[in-house]
Amino acid sequence: MADTTIDARPKKRRIQFTWRNTDIFWVIGVVLLLIGSIGLYQRMTQGLAPTALGSYVPWGLWVGFYDYLVWLEVGSLLVFTTLVYLVSFKRLAQLKPLVLFTGFTVLLMALLIVLLDLGQATRFWHVIIYPTFSSMITWMVWLHILYMFILVAELALVLGIVKMNEARAAKILKLLAYLSLPIGLGLIIVSGSVFGVVAARPLWNTSSLPLMFLVSSLAAGSGLILLLAVLFWPDKKSTDYVEVVTRLSRITAWFLLAGIFSASVIGFTTLYGGNPSRTAAMQLILTGPFWWSFWIVHVLLGVFIPILLLFFRGHQPKWAGIAAFLSVVTFVAVTLNVVIPVLATPELEGLATAFVHAKLNFDYVPNLMEWQTILFVFGLGGVIYGLGLRWLPILEKKN
Amino acid sequence: MSQVEEKTTTTGTTDAPDSTRRSFLRTLFGTAGLAAVAATPAGRMLEDKTDISVYTIGRQTGAVPEIDTDADVITRMNGDLARALQKQPAERRWVMVIDLRKCVGCHACTIACVAENKLPPGVVYRPVLEEEWGTYPNVGRRFVPRPCMQCDNPPCVPVCPVGATFTNEEGIVEMNYERCIGCRYCITACPYSARTADFGFTYNDGLPIADGLIIGQTTADDYERISNFEYGRGYDRPEGERSSPIGNARKCHFCQHRIKEGVLPACVTTCIGRATYFGDANDSFALVTGLITSPNVMRLKEELGTEPRVYYLA
Ligand code: SF4
Ligand code: SF4
Repeated sequence: MADTTIDARPKKRRIQFTWRNTDIFWVIGVVLLLIGSIGLYQRMTQGLAPTALGSYVPWGLWVGFYDYLVWLEVGSLLVFTTLVYLVSFKRLAQLKPLVLFTGFTVLLMALLIVLLDLGQATRFWHVIIYPTFSSMITWMVWLHILYMFILVAELALVLGIVKMNEARAAKILKLLAYLSLPIGLGLIIVSGSVFGVVAARPLWNTSSLPLMFLVSSLAAGSGLILLLAVLFWPDKKSTDYVEVVTRLSRITAWFLLAGIFSASVIGFTTLYGGNPSRTAAMQLILTGPFWWSFWIVHVLLGVFIPILLLFFRGHQPKWAGIAAFLSVVTFVAVTLNVVIPVLATPELEGLATAFVHAKLNFDYVPNLMEWQTILFVFGLGGVIYGLGLRWLPILEKKN
Repeated sequence: MSQVEEKTTTTGTTDAPDSTRRSFLRTLFGTAGLAAVAATPAGRMLEDKTDISVYTIGRQTGAVPEIDTDADVITRMNGDLARALQKQPAERRWVMVIDLRKCVGCHACTIACVAENKLPPGVVYRPVLEEEWGTYPNVGRRFVPRPCMQCDNPPCVPVCPVGATFTNEEGIVEMNYERCIGCRYCITACPYSARTADFGFTYNDGLPIADGLIIGQTTADDYERISNFEYGRGYDRPEGERSSPIGNARKCHFCQHRIKEGVLPACVTTCIGRATYFGDANDSFALVTGLITSPNVMRLKEELGTEPRVYYLA
């Protein structure tokens, strides 16, 4: 797809991607919406009953995807803002509308998924009017909403929806960008702490987990920016393009290495410590029935191959794009492996057989309905993204 | 022994019109003075606390039985309960003691709890875990009933984003179903897996409708849908609706609705092995106080600092 984006009419200021090419997002989106609507219908009419979730594994696919999307949405903006405003990587700035709009779409998807995961979804507003600030979920929701406001404000200014003189707009944009850094950082740390503070689950209950969330989010986020650059860069014949891609490749590769380091620290200390309640969950990740999701999907396809490609072929946009795509897409395996195996490890011996019901078991495997609902959310995201790219001045050059 | 006392020692609750606190106060102050005194804070205290030989629990009044250490444990605990209910709620410390040596693994308490709280499929407050250890022929086995531990330092409470679960003034960890958003964070945070989510099932789900052939089907379905009385409130499950407690987290609450009426929790009265005890650990004469001060007492996952109020005798 990347090659088709090369503009056949380079003198034109607008449209690097023809309508037909960006339309692919909403076309695929509509298809996913149709497939996914069956799952959504079941969710709306029967609540969480048709899911494979239960009382012993109360969080699963949807929470995993929520965290994955948060990593993407916040990580991409953190990396972008840092590069453009703090490191003065000015050439990247022209991607700002696109990065913001991508982040915004992903944010909407994340919020929708987590809303669907609530047993009493119509009461989501309770978190606003009856907040308990000892709960990490309260912080997560509040920061997420705050983050959404910042993003919307930035988008409104960047896309010219709110009119004001350019100098003033630039000043406010800079301010909003700086503000988004601590809020985004907080959001990632807090979403890691949602798990990290749970003393009942020894593998979660480590201070390195929120940090691992941060590093992973930066890796996934920089991969996303690289992917966006490869897909949508205005003038692919320019030297700027190659430089941007090469630099982003290096950054992504280093973040991936940092991710390996932080995950290894957690892994080795857990296994070496030998505390059965910690090692049991870790063994489940490494050698359980879904070992392939960790070793093949994440380690091989998501980290190992991308790192090699990024370090050795990072200056070639095609390979950089493939590496970024692989890394971004497979990162969901990490969040799923953070959430599910820990819950699938019984807290007390004999629980699994003490009282028998489908909702009281530890063998959680996401079912078709859950996947369909995910497809619905991605479909909706695709439609919003496709229509946004089509109707909003996102792909215009912003210097 | 008077008729009143006799009835009390066997059931723990009784009608005793002659020995009500009101009549005691009436004797003390005269009818006219009673209204005036009772209306003042001091009067209310008097109503609540002065006379501990008679009690008013819920809709019932009776004489508090004397402490009889030789009585059957249920009889004795009924007396303990009556005494405890004369105190201010914050002065009570409800604890449960489970004697693992006596539990025969019959699961009667589990079922009693399901019946008492009308728990739907998939929701359980007090499963009985079976543990086995050793290698044949040197093996051991025990049964561990696991209610909510009513932790003094409950990890499930601070994680709730909306304050839907909290420790009440008697130290029991309660649910506010109307507030709960069903995020299930508390379920992940409980180290004892003592919380379950209500997914909205009923036992009649999926049964074919066969009027006249499946006897009692309609009645059973109706029965499932009418209210339970957790927390002293009625929560019914009308067909097609997904109102609370469906979609919420649920947990054992030591049968508060029974305690308020002077009745022991359902699991305690149903236990055929007399393995489960309940009472106020702030009462030195209560049966449970003696039990939890014995050296063979233990609590689950003590190292987490949750300070459970459920003690096990091993
Ligand atoms: S046992 Fe679990 S549900 Fe009960 S109070 Fe303790 S943490 Fe909360
Ligand atoms: S499920 Fe309900 S009680 Fe539990 S943490 Fe969420 S809102 Fe609170």
